[in-house]
Amino acid sequence: MYVLAVVGPDGAGRADLVDQFVGALAADGTVAVVTEDDPVREADGLPGASDERVRTSVGVGSDGWAAAGTDRTLDDVVDDLTPTHDYCLLDDVREATVPGVVLGGVDYAGDALTTVETGSGVDVDAVVTTLHERIPHETLDSLVERATGAPGAEFAGAIATFTGRVRARDDPDDERTTHLEFETYEGVAEERMATIEADLEQREGVHEVVMHHRTGVVAAGEDIVFVVVLAGHRPEAFETVSDGIDRLKDEVPIFKKEATTDGEFWVHERDTGAE
Amino acid sequence: MQWKLFADIAERAGTDAVAVRLDGDDPTVGDALDALLETYPALRERVLVDGEPESRDGIAPDVNVLLDGADVFTTADGLATEVSEGAELALFPPVSGG
Repeated sequence: MYVLAVVGPDGAGRADLVDQFVGALAADGTVAVVTEDDPVREADGLPGASDERVRTSVGVGSDGWAAAGTDRTLDDVVDDLTPTHDYCLLDDVREATVPGVVLGGVDYAGDALTTVETGSGVDVDAVVTTLHERIPHETLDSLVERATGAPGAEFAGAIATFTGRVRARDDPDDERTTHLEFETYEGVAEERMATIEADLEQREGVHEVVMHHRTGVVAAGEDIVFVVVLAGHRPEAFETVSDGIDRLKDEVPIFKKEATTDGEFWVHERDTGAE
Repeated sequence: MQWKLFADIAERAGTDAVAVRLDGDDPTVGDALDALLETYPALRERVLVDGEPESRDGIAPDVNVLLDGADVFTTADGLATEVSEGAELALFPPVSGG
């Protein structure tokens, strides 16, 4: 799922521009829109929506559904949308770190694709083209969804997955790792992952292999890398997922800088052999 | 042609992309590397090493040299590999993803 933020004041034509992006993206796939407005606890017709004892209230009807709750962050919501949507527009989420269109000179911490005074100055098609050059957002669920949609799924009785995450420390005496920062040789990294996927899919009983590695800053406890294998039976599923992550770590040009409470260092310069 | 630099090598150079122009006939990866090291001499001690096996052409064992996405030592003629005007070359340390 490609995530695009549109940030700026109401007076800069933001709502109109979001609508134009919805039109352009819906022609190509499914679209979600997420805002930071705070309307949900007041939602009409949702029993319990304004009752603090109720964590989540949901209405489901023949025309669709509506939900309100107190337990999801913006990141959780975006992750939840990822398996079932091709695009997600973040409407005026200024602390997002995704590619964004910045209107009216507001501060934006993410990757600004274009910065203009008002929405009328934005070339919507050019922004969409640039968005497609960025690495899309993936989650374990979105990769599993893709794997199970592959040809051959009817012969597959097993899905094995590996998720690599940021370990805060190796043992209780270590200083804490606060985050890792990944630098990716874009283009070549994707090529090499595609080669590994294709090689592993040649194996007997292996129907689909999907890999994804995040780039940029990943905080302690967050996910870094995923390998998903769809296979006929569990032995080849387990073996292939294990070989897949080993080959990714050996062959894909991605570089890891570790930040601890004690300072920063490139992991290849201080490799103790621990993984 | 264009060099791309990564991780500590980019930090040492202070940049992650360097365009080089080679005037001679049939330029090689080695010529492109010489041009890079001339502009960024601080890379010399990181990238070059004495006494390495001939198969590495004097490049440190923990430095990868790629031409258009492929390792020049395992898939081509090392630094003697010819390069075209539009080539993308890369220098990077051991990979550490995952």
